[in-house]
Amino acid sequence: MNLRPAPAVRRVRSGRGRATRRWHAVAPVVGIAVFLGVWEGFVRWRDVRPFVLTAPSDIVGYLGRAPGDFASASLVTARHALVGFAIALVIALAIGAVMSASRFVERAVQPVLVLVQVAPFVAYISSVVLWLGAGDPPVHFTTALVCLPPFAFAAAAGMRGADPASRELFASVDASRVEVLWRLRLPSAMPSLFTAARYDTGLALIAAYLVEGSNFADDGLGAIGRRSAAQNLGDALWATVFCMVVLGTLALALIGLLERWLLHWHSSQRRRSRA
Amino acid sequence: MSVGVEIRGLSKSFGALDVVRPLDLDVEPGAFVSLVGPSGCGKSTLLRMVAGLEVPSSGSVRIGGRSPAEVRAEKRLAVVPQQPGLLPWRTVAQNARLLLEVNRRRSPAHHPDPLDLLAEVGLTDFADAYPHELSGGMQQRVALVRGFALGAPLVVMDEPFAALDEITRTEMRDLLARLLEQHPATVLFVTHSIAEAAHLSDRVLVMAPRPTSVVADVAIALPRPRTTAIEDTLAFTEVCAELRRHLHGAMR
Repeated sequence: MNLRPAPAVRRVRSGRGRATRRWHAVAPVVGIAVFLGVWEGFVRWRDVRPFVLTAPSDIVGYLGRAPGDFASASLVTARHALVGFAIALVIALAIGAVMSASRFVERAVQPVLVLVQVAPFVAYISSVVLWLGAGDPPVHFTTALVCLPPFAFAAAAGMRGADPASRELFASVDASRVEVLWRLRLPSAMPSLFTAARYDTGLALIAAYLVEGSNFADDGLGAIGRRSAAQNLGDALWATVFCMVVLGTLALALIGLLERWLLHWHSSQRRRSRA
Repeated sequence: MSVGVEIRGLSKSFGALDVVRPLDLDVEPGAFVSLVGPSGCGKSTLLRMVAGLEVPSSGSVRIGGRSPAEVRAEKRLAVVPQQPGLLPWRTVAQNARLLLEVNRRRSPAHHPDPLDLLAEVGLTDFADAYPHELSGGMQQRVALVRGFALGAPLVVMDEPFAALDEITRTEMRDLLARLLEQHPATVLFVTHSIAEAAHLSDRVLVMAPRPTSVVADVAIALPRPRTTAIEDTLAFTEVCAELRRHLHGAMR
């Protein structure tokens, strides 16, 4: 049997695949460039006032004038969001573990989580500041509260969904609840937790930004945004928006990397077959 | 090392539905006993009660004189389920060790080395692979290793090869027979394959459905050790024919 042509055929196909992949890698850049171009063009063509909409070039120019201020404000907002996000994750894992262990608790906790999820947190921010005082506590509290329901639902569903055959196997050696939780339920919940984490990244940043604008601390991007809005400083306001977008993009990229590393075994992370 | 199983008046009903009618059964230490019957005849439920995973409605199971719960707590019982149930985030070697690592304090002082067992089933090269990189037959071999790694005197298997193709199933019979020669244990084996039961068993219990009862208790006198070659002998064909006759009787 002559098997020689086979590698040649494969080489041709993979060559074309590489070219396609390279072309696809360019796609996001093209998308962003077109978006920014249309934005820039629209602002210049219609001569829009900066407070209504600032052109991307003006935003970048403004940032260039005080890069240190925006960088440190971004770090503050990132820290606020991260702390709230982390608190929510830890509490959600505890709630999820209890919910997946008891139908009663699940049915009792679920409506409360739904209430928290649908209540407009923007409306009660000033109340939270009244309860907890100025500074970081109301930021952390609100951010954690907003991130909690998606994490808790994901944790409960993921833990409950652990493979029944594996659960039985653990039972066959008399595994303790803690062991089942740690070795089976928690890893089983990882894929849904990552999905929730992507969703919560946006929520955490937005919550941190908004509370920073109301917590009398003059700290973070939200404080700059609030001040700029009050003083009709369009380019400063839009510079904070720009920083928020950068923060969110970086955070999502980080989560993507973490997911690739921690979930390499999951079907979502395998290279898609071409079939 | 092996233990006997003594079942007395064991029954199970879900509400008004009798799944297993009161049943007596003795399994001698070291025997390979198959339960054969049509699907839904309650053989899996029976097996799960022996393994202590299902609470009987009445009656008792004694494994070497102990209750299933005690035996389970001492990790003196290995389960090989129908689906391999490998944990996708663990490598083959880590999966093979799983039952030793869980509830570690109760693990026996002496047990086969999971890596040796992997070598015995020809998976040494895959020790660091993840389950999704294995074929169905290879995954089930890991599940066998995981069970045998406990070195338990009783192994219960619930249609472990049912999800595999015919060629792989035949290989797996051979493999299981070889494993048992190296690591003797009492085996309770549920299957709906007559050839599988005839190949592996010392005794085959033919079950009738709804509610479960044993309609025939057939001793398999084929010589050991048995390999795939035995399936081509006249004696094997006759054993299968006898089992099939009983099975048809049970389903009437």
